[in-house]
Amino acid sequence: SRRKRARARHKPCELRELEVSVSELGLGYESDETVLFRYCSGTCEAAVRSYDLSLKSMRSRRKIRKEKIRARPCCRPLAYDDDVSFLDAYNRYYTVNELSAKECGCV
Amino acid sequence: TSLPRSPLLSPGPDETLRALAAPPSPPGWRAPLDCVRANEQCAAEPGCSSRYRTLRQCLAGRDRNTLLANRECQLALEVLQESALHGCRCKRGMKKELQCLQIYWSIHLGLAEGEEFYEASPYEPATSRLSDIFRLASIFSGMEPATTSKSNHCLDAAKACNLNDNCKRLRSAYISTCSRELSPSEPCSRRKCHKALRQFFDRVPGEFTFRLLFCSCKDPACAERRRQTIVPSCSYQDKEKPNCLDLRGACRADHLCRSRLADFHTNCQATFQSLTSCPGDNFQACLGSYVGLIGFDITPNYVDASTTSITISPWCSCKGSGNMEEECEKFLRDFTENPCLRNAIQAFGNGTDVIPAPKNPNPAATVLPKAEKSPALPDDVNDSNTAYDTSVISTCTSLQEQGLKPNKSKEQSLCYSEAQLTTDVMPDQKSFTDPKGGSGRQRQSWLLLLVAVLVPALGL
Repeated sequence: SRRKRARARHKPCELRELEVSVSELGLGYESDETVLFRYCSGTCEAAVRSYDLSLKSMRSRRKIRKEKIRARPCCRPLAYDDDVSFLDAYNRYYTVNELSAKECGCV
Repeated sequence: TSLPRSPLLSPGPDETLRALAAPPSPPGWRAPLDCVRANEQCAAEPGCSSRYRTLRQCLAGRDRNTLLANRECQLALEVLQESALHGCRCKRGMKKELQCLQIYWSIHLGLAEGEEFYEASPYEPATSRLSDIFRLASIFSGMEPATTSKSNHCLDAAKACNLNDNCKRLRSAYISTCSRELSPSEPCSRRKCHKALRQFFDRVPGEFTFRLLFCSCKDPACAERRRQTIVPSCSYQDKEKPNCLDLRGACRADHLCRSRLADFHTNCQATFQSLTSCPGDNFQACLGSYVGLIGFDITPNYVDASTTSITISPWCSCKGSGNMEEECEKFLRDFTENPCLRNAIQAFGNGTDVIPAPKNPNPAATVLPKAEKSPALPDDVNDSNTAYDTSVISTCTSLQEQGLKPNKSKEQSLCYSEAQLTTDVMPDQKSFTDPKGGSGRQRQSWLLLLVAVLVPALGL
């Protein structure tokens, strides 16, 4: 089962989903409505480019020092889902955009 | 006690089955041609197409009386009554629905005897009851009886919609449109809101939309959520309440609205001739035509967040009706005090689409299980056909008021009150396998019976 867990941790970047209540989103809305929250998860090892390797090399040679850089691709949404609307606990409607991922990729 | 059996109240299994399998259909009956196709057929015949052109010219711009006074117009109308155009129908949400309805009314406005209170629906009769049963059954079979007693059904309905991409997208579309403030004086664009609502109810399957609109409630928060479904602040309420007859007039000026209203009157008109007060005991047809009114001038809604009594009304009153007061009240009562509509909403909320079973099953129909107890009227009201609907309702009400548990075998098909949800009647009704369950078992046996009779009927 440890191997299973390890494999799960190293799944490639993909879309996953959770059913959560609007209150749990942490956006300050109070509502018991359930929404589908889709997010991006997984590793991007296969997507390392020459850019990342070279950037890493520059950093280790101290040619880049004080800047904040990221020398490996990151699993992030490429596109966001349509708007989500809900009724809150005070009977007001709200619409939230770009709440949920629609497509993921290593960028 | 032996009471006279009215064929209308307790049909034999054969009649009931025929009514279930298809709308009443005489031998050789075929589904009506849609008016767009009928128009194409007419256009192919020189005689028909020229008469139809004439009729359209007669109707354009001129009022009915001038039309009927004109010999040529009258002749055109007479000839067209023989064509496929007469008797053609339309389908809700069909391609070219508006075109189809325009063709329908161009014939029927000429035929009508002046302004009628109820107009015939231009829509095809709601399809086979068989599919209704399956659809309703499928919706509620997914529900756990144990959890439904505590949860908020309207919240569950919103969840089901949010988890379906199509429903979520179109719901968000109308909610954001209807709650977008244009300026401090203009809370929203009512026109755009209505359009978005029509799209939602036309394109999202009834298993989602009906659940949102007709969920049953035990607490005010739930009922308020149900009332809020159509974003009433924009789509329903207005600064002033117009007169209902004026509202009806505005609706009749629009082919689409006129058709939806006629469909509502056809399918939800309370009748004393059926157990449920609905024409043909068809709840789904009534709910469907109610939903069809949303997004028009005549948009109906719950008037408050009451959990005990359901009152539906369009946003209008009968003030200022003058000598038309009576007609106005009659029009309004079809929404506010309509036992068919109320029973349909409550039955859907409770998950009990009840088919009235024959009181004394025909012994020839051996497939009917012996243990079956068919829901029957309380004996004391059975002999009075006319006062029948109101007596059933008052029977139910008085039972609740006295805090008595209604006799399951007798009452469950008749009392669809929400208060009963909390009694022990519900788990039985929801369960399809519980051997004690009245309606679940009854439904199963009906399906068996249907299959047994329909297979030979299809000539297999």
